[in-house]
Amino acid sequence: MSGSEIIDYAVLIPLLPFLAFPVILFLGRLFNGTPTWVKNVKEGGIIALVVMGASLILALSVIREYMNKVGAADVFTWFEASWWNSGNGEITTKVFGFGVYIDHLTVMLLFVAAFLCFLINIFSIGYMNTDPINDNRNHRFYAEFVLFCSGMLGMVLADSFLWLFIFWELMGLCSYLLIGFYYERPSAAYAAKKAFLTTRVGDVFLVIGLVILWNLFGGTLDYDVLFKPDNIANVDSGELQLALGMIFIGAVGKSAQFPLHVWLPDAMEGPTPVSALIHAATMVNAGLYIVARMFPFFSAADMGALSTLAIIIAIIGGITAVMAALIAFVQMDLKKVLAYSTMSQLAYIFTGLGSALWLANNGYDELAAFAMGASLFHLFNHAMAKGMLFMASGSVIHEMHHAHHEVAHHGHGDDHHDDHHDDHFDAQSMENMGGLASRMPITATAMFVGSMSIIGIPLIGGFWSKEGIIASAWKVALKEPIFLLPAMLILIGAGMTGFYMSRMWFMTFAGKPKTEVAEHVHEQTPWIPIPLVVLTFMTLAAIIFAGMHAGHWLGDFESGHYTSFVDGIGYEMEHVFLNHDPFLMVLTYVAIGLSLVLGPSFAMALYGGGLDKGQKAKPWMQWAIDLSAKINSKSNFDNSAWANSSLANSLHKRLHFDDIYDAAMMKIVVGFANLSAIFDSRFIDGVIKTIESTSQQASRRLRALTTGSARDYIMMTAIGTLAIFMLLWGVA
Amino acid sequence: MSEVTMVHGEDEFDLPTVVEVFSTDFWKAFAPETILICGLLLIFIIPNLGNSKFRIPLTKVRVPWFLGGKRFKVTGSPAIPGILATGTLFTALGMMAIEAIDGNMDTTAVMSNGIVILQMDNFSRFFEILFLAAVLLASMASLDRIPAHTFEGKKSLEEMYDNRRQADFYILMLTTAIGMCIVALAQDLFVLFVGLELASLATYVLVGFHKESKAGAESGVKYFIVGSVASGVGLYGLSLLYLEFGSLQLHTIAANWADSTILGTIALGLVLVGFGFKVSAAPFHFAAPDAYAGANSPVAGVLATASKAMGMIGLIRVLLVIALPEAGADESAIWLYTLATLSVITMTWGNVAALGSTNPKRMLAYSSVAHAGYMLAALTAVGAWKWGEVEAPGDYAEAIVAAVLFHLFVLVAFKLGAFLVLGLLEMEGGASRLSALSGLARRDPLIGTAMFIFMLALAGVPPLAGFMSKFLVIAGIVSTSVGELWMNGTVSFSEIHWVWWLALAMFINSAISVFYYLRIGVVMFLDVPEEGRRKPLPYGASIRMAIWICLVATILLGLSGDTLIDMCYRAADSLNLA
Repeated sequence: MSGSEIIDYAVLIPLLPFLAFPVILFLGRLFNGTPTWVKNVKEGGIIALVVMGASLILALSVIREYMNKVGAADVFTWFEASWWNSGNGEITTKVFGFGVYIDHLTVMLLFVAAFLCFLINIFSIGYMNTDPINDNRNHRFYAEFVLFCSGMLGMVLADSFLWLFIFWELMGLCSYLLIGFYYERPSAAYAAKKAFLTTRVGDVFLVIGLVILWNLFGGTLDYDVLFKPDNIANVDSGELQLALGMIFIGAVGKSAQFPLHVWLPDAMEGPTPVSALIHAATMVNAGLYIVARMFPFFSAADMGALSTLAIIIAIIGGITAVMAALIAFVQMDLKKVLAYSTMSQLAYIFTGLGSALWLANNGYDELAAFAMGASLFHLFNHAMAKGMLFMASGSVIHEMHHAHHEVAHHGHGDDHHDDHHDDHFDAQSMENMGGLASRMPITATAMFVGSMSIIGIPLIGGFWSKEGIIASAWKVALKEPIFLLPAMLILIGAGMTGFYMSRMWFMTFAGKPKTEVAEHVHEQTPWIPIPLVVLTFMTLAAIIFAGMHAGHWLGDFESGHYTSFVDGIGYEMEHVFLNHDPFLMVLTYVAIGLSLVLGPSFAMALYGGGLDKGQKAKPWMQWAIDLSAKINSKSNFDNSAWANSSLANSLHKRLHFDDIYDAAMMKIVVGFANLSAIFDSRFIDGVIKTIESTSQQASRRLRALTTGSARDYIMMTAIGTLAIFMLLWGVA
Repeated sequence: MSEVTMVHGEDEFDLPTVVEVFSTDFWKAFAPETILICGLLLIFIIPNLGNSKFRIPLTKVRVPWFLGGKRFKVTGSPAIPGILATGTLFTALGMMAIEAIDGNMDTTAVMSNGIVILQMDNFSRFFEILFLAAVLLASMASLDRIPAHTFEGKKSLEEMYDNRRQADFYILMLTTAIGMCIVALAQDLFVLFVGLELASLATYVLVGFHKESKAGAESGVKYFIVGSVASGVGLYGLSLLYLEFGSLQLHTIAANWADSTILGTIALGLVLVGFGFKVSAAPFHFAAPDAYAGANSPVAGVLATASKAMGMIGLIRVLLVIALPEAGADESAIWLYTLATLSVITMTWGNVAALGSTNPKRMLAYSSVAHAGYMLAALTAVGAWKWGEVEAPGDYAEAIVAAVLFHLFVLVAFKLGAFLVLGLLEMEGGASRLSALSGLARRDPLIGTAMFIFMLALAGVPPLAGFMSKFLVIAGIVSTSVGELWMNGTVSFSEIHWVWWLALAMFINSAISVFYYLRIGVVMFLDVPEEGRRKPLPYGASIRMAIWICLVATILLGLSGDTLIDMCYRAADSLNLA
C-alpha cells in the first residue's frame, strides 16, 4: 500500500511522551510554585495528560488500521543510519535503525498500555496533586511518569529485540525513580534499590540470551529476520533453547515470578498511581510480552525441541500462582494483597503461555493459538481489573488519610499539612477499615467488579480468560504428564484467589468500621472516580472482547463463521459452559465451584459482616454484604489455631524469601565486595599509582633536558646528527 | 614546450604542461600565488598613504605624492593590514580550493634554462590549501587579538594600535604563507630550501614579535639560533647532494639514486636533520616548546600545523621521491631503521614530556612532537615495502601517504583550534598555566566545549576527525606490514614485516596521550576559575569565528571526510610513487 498510513506516525506514540519528559522537567524547574503552574497545569499533569491522550488516539488509530487488514505483521522503518560511509575508510558500515512492528501481540499490549497510562494519568492528577506531601515536586513525578509510559509503548512497538531491550532498561530506570519517589523515606529508597537490583539479575541473563540469539541469527536482532521460519529451522535448537531460556529469566525478573519476585511487594512504597502503572499497565507486562514474543520460535523450531523450556515456564508459573496466593492470605496491607494477587495472576498468564508454547512446539497449532489467545486475553483482563483495583485502593487510602486528618486534628486548629506522615496511623492497613461500602459507593463498586474479575466469577472479565488458561493447561497435561503439576497448581490457585480477593473486599468494605477514622471516610476528590467508572465498564464488557477474541485474535484461527461478535459470544458461552468434551466441562465446573463457592464462602465466614445500622450500600453490593453477614453469624470458625500456626508465621514473613536472600547477600556478595575492595586498594591502586608516579618522573626527567639554553639545544642537535650518521652507516 | 624526463619514466602518467617563467600560461597557472604577492605589496603601500607632496625641483609646484606625510584616516586605520591580509588569503584560498576540490588538477611545470623550478599538481595544491587555511585562520584570529593585547601596561594602547606594527605582523604572516607555497611547489631542492628559509625567517620574527615581553623575544632568538644550525646542517647536506649528482633537480637525483655512493647517504642524513627540525622530531625539537610558549597563540598554531606540514613536504620529497628504491627491487630503503628509530623516540618523547607539563602551550607543543612521530612512522612504512611481491604496490604506498596528508590537514582544524582557544584566553592575560583554563566550561560553555572537542580529536576519539586520521595511519601501517599475505589464508606472526611494531608503538602512545588531553577537560569542567578570571571571556568576534570554523571542520571531517580523503589520494597519486 502506498500513500500515507497511520503506521507511518506510529513512532510518535512513544516519541511524544519521550519528548514531554524534558519539557515537563524543565518547565517544572522554571515555574515551580507559581499559581498558574499549580492550578491550571497541575504541576505538569495537564501536559502529561495531553501527551498521553495524543498517544492513545494515535495508538487506537494504529490498532484500527491493523484490525481492518488482519494478516501478516505490519512493519514500518522510521530511520536507518550507518556510521562512517566513506568509500576509502575500510570500516564495514553497520546499519542501525528504528522502526515499528505491529502484529496481534503488539496491538493487544499497545492498547493496554496506552489506555491504562492515560487513565492512570487522570487518576494521578486527582491523587498526587491533592496530597500536600507532593507539593512542588509533582513535575518530577509527571516527567518520570511520561518517560515510563514512553518506555513501555516503545518496547511494545519496537521492531527488534535490541530496541526492546533499550526500552526495557528505560522502564527499569523509571521504576527505580518512581518507586523511590519519596526518597527521603528509607523504606522507599530501599524498595527502589531492591526493585532495581532484583530485576537487574534477570536483565543480565536477558542480555546473555540476546547475545546468543544475535550470534545464532548472524548478527541481527530484527524481528523480520528472526521470525522467518526458514531461519529458525536452520539454527541449532539446543542453543536456541538456551537463548530463549536466558531471555525467560529476564522476564521472570521483570514480571516478578518465583524466585525473583521479592521486589514487587516492596514496590508498593511508591505512590499509588505508580503501583497501578507498574502492576497493571506496564512493567510486569513487559516480561509477559517478551515470552509471548517467543511464539514464532516455538512454532517454527523442530517438533518438541523446545518443550523443556515451555514446561519450565509453566511450572514457574504454577509455583508462583500458589505461593503468591498463600502469602496474600495473611497480608493486612491493602496494596500488598493486590501486589501478591498481581504476582499470582501473572503466574496464570505464564502458565498459559507455557501451554501455548508447548502446544506450538508439538504441532497442535489450533490449540496453541487458543491458549495464546486466552493468555493474552487474561493479560488484558488482569490489566484492566488490576489497574482499577489499584486506583480504587488509592482512592480508599487517599480518603482514609483525609478522614484521619479530620479526626485527628479536629478542633486543634493547627495546620494539618505539616506533620502528616509523622504519626503512626496506617492508612493502608485493612485493620483500620471496614464498612466503607456505603461511604464510598463508586470505589466499592469498582473494587467489587475488579475483585470478581480477578477471582473469575462467571460472565465477568477474567472468568473467560482464566477458564481458557486452565483448560489449555489441562489439555497439555493430558498429553504430557509433567504438565499435571502446573495444571493442578493453577486449579487450586483459582480457589485461593477466590478466598484472598473476597477477604480483601469484605475486610475493607463490609462489616462495622474498625476505627473512628473509617467512619468519617467519604469520596470527595475529583478526577479519581473517572477512571474507576471507565474501567468498571471495560471489565464488565469483557464478554464482548471475548466474543471478538474467538473470531479475530490470532490470525490462524480461521474457522470463519464468527462474523459478528454476537455469534462470538454465543460460541464462547457454549464453549465454556456446554463443552462437547466432557472432561473439559467437568473441569470448568470444578474451577467455577472452587473460585465462586469455596473461596468466597470461607472469606465471608471469617471476615464478613453487616454494615452499621442506617448505612446502606448500593443494591448490587448489598446482597453480598447481607449474605456475608448471614454466613458469618451462622458459622463459628475459630481460626486462632491457624493464625498461630508456623505456616501463618512464615507467610507473614513472606515464606522467608527475603531473609534467605538477605543472608545470602551478606555472606556472598558482601564478602566478595570486601575482597574486591582489598584487591582494588592494594593491587589496582598500587599499579596505577606506580604508573602515574613513574610516568610523571619520566616526564620531569625528559623536560629537564629542555633547559632553555640554546647551547644545549644545539648540543642535542649535534648528538642527534651523529646518531643518524651511525644508524645510516650501519645500514649502508 | 619541451620534453621532461619523468621520475620513473612510465608513460601512463600525464606529462606536465611545461611553461616558461613569466609567460602568459605561467600567470594563469599561478594566479592565487600572484594574488598573495599583490596582497603583500598592498600591505606595504596602503597604510602608508598620506598627504605628502612632491615639490618639483626648482619650482614651487607641489605634486601630490601620497606616500608618507600625514596618513589618511581611512587607510591609516590600524585594522587595515589585518583586513587586507585576511582578504588576500581568503581570495587565494578560495581560488585554490574551487580548483582542487572539483577534481584533478592539470600538472604544470615551470622551466627556466632547462631546469624544472616549480611544478603545480595535486600534491602541491593540496599543501598550498593547507598552508593558506592555517595562516588565514591565524590572521583572522589575530584581527582582534593584537590590538587588545595588554602587556602589563608597559605600552599605551595607541602604541599597541600602531599601524606600522600591525602592518609588520601581517606582512610576516603573508611572507610565511608565500614561502610555504614555494616549498610545496618546488621541484628543485635549492628552490625548496629558499622557500623553507623564507617561511622560517618570517616565523622566527613572528615568534619574537612581542618584543615587549621578555619570554617572546628570548624564545624568538632561541628558535632562530637553533633553526639556523639545523638549516645550516641541511644546506650542507644539499651541497653534498649536488656534489654527488651534479644537480639538485628532484627527478634527476631520483633517477640516479640507485647508483649513489656513500656520499649520498651522508647527504641524506644531513638533510634529515634539517627537515627533522622543521617537523620537530626528537632530538631536534627542543626549541619548539620554548617557541610555542613564547609566541602568541595563533602564531604558535601556525608553527604547529603549517610549519610542520612544510617540513613533512621536505621529508616526503627527499625520502619517498628521491631515496625510495626502484619498484621491483626487493629491498628496504636505506633510511628505514633510522626513520623508525626516530619516529619511536619522537612519539614517546613527546607524549611522556607532555604528561607532566603544566603549561598548556608547552603541552600542545609536546603533543605536536608526538604527532610528528606518528607521521614519521607512517613514512617508514612506505620505505619498508617489499616491492617485488605485490601486484599493485603503489596502492599501499599511496594509502599511507594519503593518510599522512589527511592527518596534516585535520591537524589544522583541531590543533590550531586549540591554540586559538588559548589565544582567546591570552586576550585577558596569559595562557601559560593550566589553571588559566580552570572553569572555562562554566565561564563560557561554548568555548569550553569547543576546547574539549579539540582535545578529544587530538586524543583520537571517534567520530571526530582525529580518530579518522589516526585510524587511517595505523590501518595503513598494518596493511603494509601484512600486505597480501592474508590472501593466502592465515598469516603467521613471523611473516609480518617488523614495521607492524611501529603501529603498536603508535597505539600505546595514543593511549598514553589520552591522559594529558583529558586533563584539560577535567580542569575546564571541574575546577573553579582562578582569581581575576571570574568574568566572561573577552568577546572577539573574528577569533571566535575562527574557532567555530575549526570546530565544524573537526566534527565534519570526522563524520564524512570523503571529499578530503579523495583530495589526499589524488595528491598522493601525483607523487607517482610506484
